[in-house]
Amino acid sequence: MTYASSIKPDLRTKISVKNLQFFYGENLALKNVNMDLYTNKVTALIGPSGCGKSTLLRVLNRMYSLYPRQRAEGEILLDGENILDSKLDVNLLRARVGMVFQKPTPFPMSIYENIAFGIRLYEKLPKSEIDGRVETALKGAAIWGEVKDKLNASGLSLSGGQQQRLCIARTVAIQPEVILFDEPCSALDPISTAKVEELIDELKNNYTIAIVTHNMQQAARVSEYTAFMYLGELVEFGDTSHIFTSPDQPQTQNYITGRFG
Amino acid sequence: MSEHTVRSYDKELEDLGRKIAEMGGIAEKMLSDAMDALANLDMDLAHATIAVDMRLDILQRDIEEQAVLTIAKRQPMALDLREIIAAIRISGDLERVGDLAKNIAKRAIKLSTEPRFPRALVGLKSMHEAAAMLLKDALDAYATRDAERARMVWSNDVELDALEDSVFRDLLTFMMEDPRNISFCAHLLFCSKNIERIGDHATNISETVVYLVTGEPLPTERPKGSSQFSEVPHPAM
Repeated sequence: MTYASSIKPDLRTKISVKNLQFFYGENLALKNVNMDLYTNKVTALIGPSGCGKSTLLRVLNRMYSLYPRQRAEGEILLDGENILDSKLDVNLLRARVGMVFQKPTPFPMSIYENIAFGIRLYEKLPKSEIDGRVETALKGAAIWGEVKDKLNASGLSLSGGQQQRLCIARTVAIQPEVILFDEPCSALDPISTAKVEELIDELKNNYTIAIVTHNMQQAARVSEYTAFMYLGELVEFGDTSHIFTSPDQPQTQNYITGRFG
Repeated sequence: MSEHTVRSYDKELEDLGRKIAEMGGIAEKMLSDAMDALANLDMDLAHATIAVDMRLDILQRDIEEQAVLTIAKRQPMALDLREIIAAIRISGDLERVGDLAKNIAKRAIKLSTEPRFPRALVGLKSMHEAAAMLLKDALDAYATRDAERARMVWSNDVELDALEDSVFRDLLTFMMEDPRNISFCAHLLFCSKNIERIGDHATNISETVVYLVTGEPLPTERPKGSSQFSEVPHPAM
């Protein structure tokens, strides 16, 4: 794997993936992956289906620990602390590293409760303060204006694009440090997609972001860094502008130009 | 480079390349015809050269439209994106080459009524040969995607600049020797400027080819030869 261009010195590393191997049972899904996610930057993970990009994302907040026979080797340092350490409290980790999924997954409860529920899991706060946090989260996810008059309506009553922004609000509400997006726009129409992209642009001022996407143009639009993965390996990592105009690796070029077998 | 999964995409890109090649052929022929018309005072050839410029303009517009459409439809990335940007740029350069050749043909028509001074044409002939070579090399570099050859064109343009400088001084001398030469030589001065500009467009094309092949732009400053108001340094090559 190559670094497409020199990494700028003022970048701060938020997450450092070192010699990561990941197994589904006997099956090796990630082969010695090394890469960094930088603070307040958006990193896009691209590659064909089955290349390991979603797996990598799921390792970053130990989502895989929910499933038997899945294991990771190597190190993932979040601010220098290895999150693969078995003694680590995964609930606290997931509060620091939030995730937004491909399909909107609002809880079958009111819009207000969708947000407040997560906050109460981690913190004991008076109602007035929770109200404030809910409002801030909904504003942060650019959906406040659309829902402020119907906070008691069911989260499921919203459109797909609104549901996805509700899920982003839910993630933001518990004030994580890193947000992982797993194809957040693949089920959304272009206008909702544009709103989520605008949101990602805003969110990166406060968070470190990684996004898995099958949409090349989206990766090119929203990210500063891009990682191209293939067959469980990190093939190329570098500045997004470099990767999408003149990538170093022929495999990267083949993939992003639509020449894959 | 292997083929696209969507085959019509390959066809669109090939089509762009083919049209550039056609434009290149027309531009080269226009230049040599215009120079022949000038040398032999062949008015039919001059008029034919002027007429053929229209075809170049149409091709350029075709290429631009098709490139825009392909960008809209395919959202090209990496090499494909550079391919399309290159087609737009090169077609623009070739269209200008056609205009400049057309200007020479127009001068040939104007010159037909002036008293002739054949000795003044010698320097222009050398300039024409140098410019035609630059243009040919730039177009070949594009056709074969040869960045090295393109870089050669880029640095060889200094020779043409030096030639222009010496033509300029020759023509001044002829005009001072005999004021009856002034009108003829003044027209030729414009022709030499046109040829020099054709060399610049060949240089532009070669810059585009380097970008197309490598993804890296050439430095903004290219080797400078001479100017009409300074000493002529020995060409770098």
